[in-house]
Amino acid sequence: MVGLTSPRVVAIVLATLITLPLAASLYQVPIQVSDSLEPIVIATTAASVGQLMADAPRFSPTTLRPMRYVQARWLLNSVEATGVSYRAVFRGVHVALLMLLIALFVIAVRVRTWTDLAAFTVAFPVLIGIHTFAAMLFEAFPVNHYAEVGVCALGILVLAQQPPRSYVPAIACALLAFALSVVESGALVWIVVIGCAAARMRGITRSTVIATTLLIVGYFLVRHSLGISSPGIGGMGSGFGATFYSADALKARFGEHPLGFMAYNVASGLLSLLLSEPRTGVYGTAIWWKTGTLHPVLVVNVVSSAITTIVIGWYAVRRLRVGRAAWSDADRAFTVCCLVILVNASLTAAYIKDEIISVGGLFYAVAAFIAFRELLASMPARSLAASAAMALTLVLTAGLWTFRDLGVHYQLRYDAFKLRNDWAEVLRPDTRENWPRDPTVLALTRRIRDEAIAVRTASPSFMPRWGDRWWIE
Amino acid sequence: MTGTGRDPGSGIRDVLLAAVMVPCVVLAALSAWWAVAPLWPPDDVTLSEAIATRNTGEALRLIAQGADPNAASRVRGGLLVNRDVLVAPVEAAVGAQRADALRQLLAYGARVDDHERLVLRCYERTRRDSGVREILDAGAAGEPDCAGVTLPIDRKE
Repeated sequence: MVGLTSPRVVAIVLATLITLPLAASLYQVPIQVSDSLEPIVIATTAASVGQLMADAPRFSPTTLRPMRYVQARWLLNSVEATGVSYRAVFRGVHVALLMLLIALFVIAVRVRTWTDLAAFTVAFPVLIGIHTFAAMLFEAFPVNHYAEVGVCALGILVLAQQPPRSYVPAIACALLAFALSVVESGALVWIVVIGCAAARMRGITRSTVIATTLLIVGYFLVRHSLGISSPGIGGMGSGFGATFYSADALKARFGEHPLGFMAYNVASGLLSLLLSEPRTGVYGTAIWWKTGTLHPVLVVNVVSSAITTIVIGWYAVRRLRVGRAAWSDADRAFTVCCLVILVNASLTAAYIKDEIISVGGLFYAVAAFIAFRELLASMPARSLAASAAMALTLVLTAGLWTFRDLGVHYQLRYDAFKLRNDWAEVLRPDTRENWPRDPTVLALTRRIRDEAIAVRTASPSFMPRWGDRWWIE
Repeated sequence: MTGTGRDPGSGIRDVLLAAVMVPCVVLAALSAWWAVAPLWPPDDVTLSEAIATRNTGEALRLIAQGADPNAASRVRGGLLVNRDVLVAPVEAAVGAQRADALRQLLAYGARVDDHERLVLRCYERTRRDSGVREILDAGAAGEPDCAGVTLPIDRKE
């Protein structure tokens, strides 16, 4: 029986209290025009789910994401069946994914003692405040695929912490298949399986490894047989140094000799996870060097991330020197987190977007929890002065991360304001020549637009103007 | 908190451990408060204020609810100038240098007669926006004669 004042219950209460207004902020964001309207239209005009599956390979030469459209179709069907708004269904799913991510994080870190709880109170703000988490929240195609991959990846980690069960291979395969069918980053789910097995986490058995490996090999064979390639340089814009380049500019500059740029991207992806710098390949420090202008957001982000990464590095040096056989459960989970961070960074080879490394951000927060807990547990063995210095550093770190958490609300309101304004440009009376010709598509577009316009959003003009400098890069 | 039979400094260490939790607990308390008083709620704005603050989504909602795109309404101090002013939405669009908002208003029924066009062109000369100028100067010959023209923000209410 768990008491109401047990550390685990307090952790759940804290997580719930912090998450609920975040969910409300997220729900305020309308369905996007860019990225979302097109798949919704494709999903609604297809004759059947089967046709969407069959057509999926033809939507892009570099992606195979059949569930992107199928999910949209299911959600559209549920709107028709229930009569609720498109906003309620699509944004409701977005909020549900946020809740699932938070729940899985709370389960994965397994708070049991007061020391665990203290570590949790530092690591939970890391989870919410890291820039990749906000980037993940902003995504919607129209369902948030990066959050789905995050749920699947954290789900595997949670399964790996449990005793082995006969159903785990089937669940792991289902999670991997689903993740791969929404976005290519879904391959990280397989990396988590392999990492858990290599770290000898008890819930992942050889049969799980074999089944998921066969599945991912099959996935790549299908991609190959359908002629689907990986995106190369020039597929998307990305940063280099102090400048963000368009896709064409990148191709012109690096297309002939891409290896150096790819190495830059991977290194930058890793640094971004560890130091919150650079962002989308652009170094704020380089801009500072060039212009002499230093925005406080850069200082807050880099200092909070650097202290956290130093503690993670301290844990790695302290615990992982011993042989694998002597590792604790926490050591094993920590190793998996490091592997996911490293592999996720490598997925940025062609271009960097914060959301691509968002799964790495989730595992960074888990690793931070494990490291903070070890640091706090070492307190009794240290002098009072050292303990006080350590606690002060952690209070500062937690304070900075908490401040970054507030910025997520600010950024979500900004995003809601911008996306709602995007809808004001859709179906304008003076641009009738651009309106959809298909009456079904026109009616659908009109209804989603009307829903987006009807819900009032906060205007940045009435929010604290200093927020731009402290929260937005 | 961490056990019994501890060294003399354990009480202090418990306090330090509790101190580490403070920022997160404060955030949780603030979050609970925001359930009662939402953080940064939407402001009530007039149509001209919505335009002046680049809030074209809100402007469209107000028009859909029956707001007259030709009626002057209050814009609070700090948005266009440092004091409250009474301006038409198209004047707010020129003042905010928003060509997109101006196009939107014209598409949703705002009318600009010859006198108002002169006022807007003269106002644009003090705010300078190439997109706005392109819309207002379409079909007009030469520079506007702004002598004797009272700008919207200089009007006596």
